[in-house]
Amino acid sequence: MNDRQKAILAEIPRLRRYARSLVRESDGADDLVQDSLERAFARIANWQTGDSPRRWLFTIMHNIFIDQIRKDQRRGEVVPLTDQEAGLAKVKAEQHDKLVARDVIDALQRIDPDRRAALTLVAVEGFSYAEAAEILRVPAGTVMSRIARGRNELREALNEGTRNRAIRVVE
Amino acid sequence: MTNSKTYSDTDLHLALDGEMPAEQRAEFDRWLEQNPKEQERFQQFETDRKALKSALDPVLEEPIPSRLTRIRATANDNSATASRWLMAAAAVLLFAAGGAAGYLAGARLPAAPNEASLLADNAIAAHVIYAAEKRHTVEVGANEKDHLVAWLSKRVGLSLVAPDLEKYGFSLVGGRLLPSGARAAAQFMYENTGGDRISLYVTTVDNKDETGFRLVEERGARAFYWLDHGYACAVTGSLAEDELLKLSRDAYRQLVSSDDW
Repeated sequence: MNDRQKAILAEIPRLRRYARSLVRESDGADDLVQDSLERAFARIANWQTGDSPRRWLFTIMHNIFIDQIRKDQRRGEVVPLTDQEAGLAKVKAEQHDKLVARDVIDALQRIDPDRRAALTLVAVEGFSYAEAAEILRVPAGTVMSRIARGRNELREALNEGTRNRAIRVVE
Repeated sequence: MTNSKTYSDTDLHLALDGEMPAEQRAEFDRWLEQNPKEQERFQQFETDRKALKSALDPVLEEPIPSRLTRIRATANDNSATASRWLMAAAAVLLFAAGGAAGYLAGARLPAAPNEASLLADNAIAAHVIYAAEKRHTVEVGANEKDHLVAWLSKRVGLSLVAPDLEKYGFSLVGGRLLPSGARAAAQFMYENTGGDRISLYVTTVDNKDETGFRLVEERGARAFYWLDHGYACAVTGSLAEDELLKLSRDAYRQLVSSDDW
């Protein structure tokens, strides 16, 4: 295996984590990773030596994700799974921290995809605003405003989730 | 000390994301302490960020599904076009097959395709094509093992067994009949609980040499291949080298102990 391919394969865990923040369901997230890797290998010559493979790969993944979103929007509104549809019955047996993890990932899916991407690139993947701007192909100021709005939306979604759960328990 | 400066919502996000210049941070923290409402917001966002990160971090520790490590490299990758051998290996990334003509990593490639390299090509191609198949991996499933083994033995012209590889975590999925030049070859496919697949490819060859086990390791891919008195066998998979060798030796022992070939 050459160094370039090794470098790409070494990024798979990070790509999978980012994909899971963009796409709730794990098979769908891995489909996104697979599409990204296929495109990366097909265009490996475009990767400038010296460039971070991570940023290059994340850019590829973002482009594919955005293409998918556009297609989905043409077909109709994307409706994220609710807790109930995702199998609420199982939740009870899970530990508290798993429940928190599920809530936060559900909440993440309820926020606008552009804001979701910006927020996770910086808050989870640890990219700087400048790096996220490069991946998302928008100005750094846009990254910042998307993060600010995304963060507020995430909090609102979490608050709402808590309310809904309380209502269901009462019922 | 009194802070004359007030901070905006933007500053709050800059601080949260580590984008605030270090020299401003201490002053910002002092400002937060004096503004409990803002501080509460800041801490709530920070808690959310940590929750988000710990919800997603476990993905890093998950085993990588083998379909992601099987991505094909393409002709755009110049090093992959160096030879048809390397091309075949590139196509599989984490598994390859066949030690054609004693090819070892770094050794010179055979100048012309010979019977062994042709056979190895076939073994690789068969693995690449069928290991990636979800629904039609095999022609005859392991539930009809006796029929499978009898049928393949008859067609290949060797008294075959489907080696038992359970102790390595691999169960027989089934097998299929394949062409190998003008002859027939048998492919047995195995799978572990992680969905990783290995295949065993057996056919007859004119060459009566005995080669011992040959390792091919290229691009993180590995396979063991051997010729032994008129038959050839390749075990292809994505296991660690020692594990794959152990498994190959075991498969070999089970194959030869089964009969008189």
